[in-house]
Amino acid sequence: MTSLAAVAAYVPAGRVPIEEPAGRLGLSAMQVKVFRRYHRLGEVARDPGGGLGDLLRGALDRLEGLRGQEHRVRYVLHARTFPTVTPYGHDPLRRLCEEYGLGHATAFSVGHHACASGLLALDAAGRLLAADGDPDGLALVLTGEKAFTGEAQLVPDTSFFGEGAAACLVAASGERDRMLCYATELRGEFDSEEPELALEFQRIYAEALAAAITAAVGRAGLAVDGIAAILPHNVNHQAWKQVCRILGYPRERVLLDHVTGTGHLFCADSFVNYRTAKERGLLRPGEPYVVAAAGAGLGAAFSAMVLVH
Amino acid sequence: MTEQNTAAPAAADPELRERLVGSIRELLPQVLRREVDGVTEDTALMDALGLSSTTGLELVLELEERLELEISVEDLGRDDFGTVGSLADYVAGNLLTEA
Repeated sequence: MTSLAAVAAYVPAGRVPIEEPAGRLGLSAMQVKVFRRYHRLGEVARDPGGGLGDLLRGALDRLEGLRGQEHRVRYVLHARTFPTVTPYGHDPLRRLCEEYGLGHATAFSVGHHACASGLLALDAAGRLLAADGDPDGLALVLTGEKAFTGEAQLVPDTSFFGEGAAACLVAASGERDRMLCYATELRGEFDSEEPELALEFQRIYAEALAAAITAAVGRAGLAVDGIAAILPHNVNHQAWKQVCRILGYPRERVLLDHVTGTGHLFCADSFVNYRTAKERGLLRPGEPYVVAAAGAGLGAAFSAMVLVH
Repeated sequence: MTEQNTAAPAAADPELRERLVGSIRELLPQVLRREVDGVTEDTALMDALGLSSTTGLELVLELEERLELEISVEDLGRDDFGTVGSLADYVAGNLLTEA
């Protein structure tokens, strides 16, 4: 069974208040107030001097489990919210593979599930390793992006993006953080910029995300109340409040520690939250937990994964 | 915004509620950024006027400023934005300051 062999996260020290990107993008003071009061966003993480390579390097440098195991890594996957994550012609992923002794691995990007692409990459990594049949094979899933365009700074009416990165070593088998089930629902009908569809998306958002969690938990043969913690995407507090209400799940078991202080770290949220959950002792051996995310852009994806620590 | 308002609307001061309904009607063109005619207490904010969750929240915060009130948004749910009247009920039942 696929497992997470090691997880590292890196959030740069720089912070800017949400008023800064909001001002640049033309949001009104009242819109910012909605973000602060209702969604409880405050600051976003930024690495003003660094590029995407620096962000990913920050995570890779902290991935102790990779040291000495580089030769076992068969795949390097960069899970992306946006299809374009660097200016044209730049390819930091390839360069990083060389730098970290992974030049032999097959490196590629995983996307089109927007902010839920990190879970898709974990699933893809597990499937690739299982198909290879090499019990020692590993895959490296990288997440993290630069908030370098207007689109990559704001999720309209929902959140602000922050910069951060994570590196996750996936193994074909293992005892800790075993992947029990992955469920994703793709909603192609939201591939539109029609205002009516945007309203409809808002209307179904929490229910669809709750349904993905229920589906994953059910397929794993578990019940939602037996889930020790939910590691969410850090869009805002309000969305998760609704999801909790629908699921009948206690809000205090959803790790929302970073929403106010870093913003939504693209696909890296799940892994940054994993590290925090571990540090806070929220994940105990043998207990199941859920990692969940929704992604929206041209179409929408609602995804959840059940793992056992 | 799907949470139910647990406050008891029936307890709202009729004068305050009327003031809230009037202010909501006056603020709607501002938050929707277009003219809005024929709005009554029963007008559906989302279904009929196309109010989004964000413009709905802007409306609540604009109400705070106009009426110099502080409104708790902790329990504010999608159902509270059903009609002009239901929003007035929520606000009346969730004031943090004396009206």
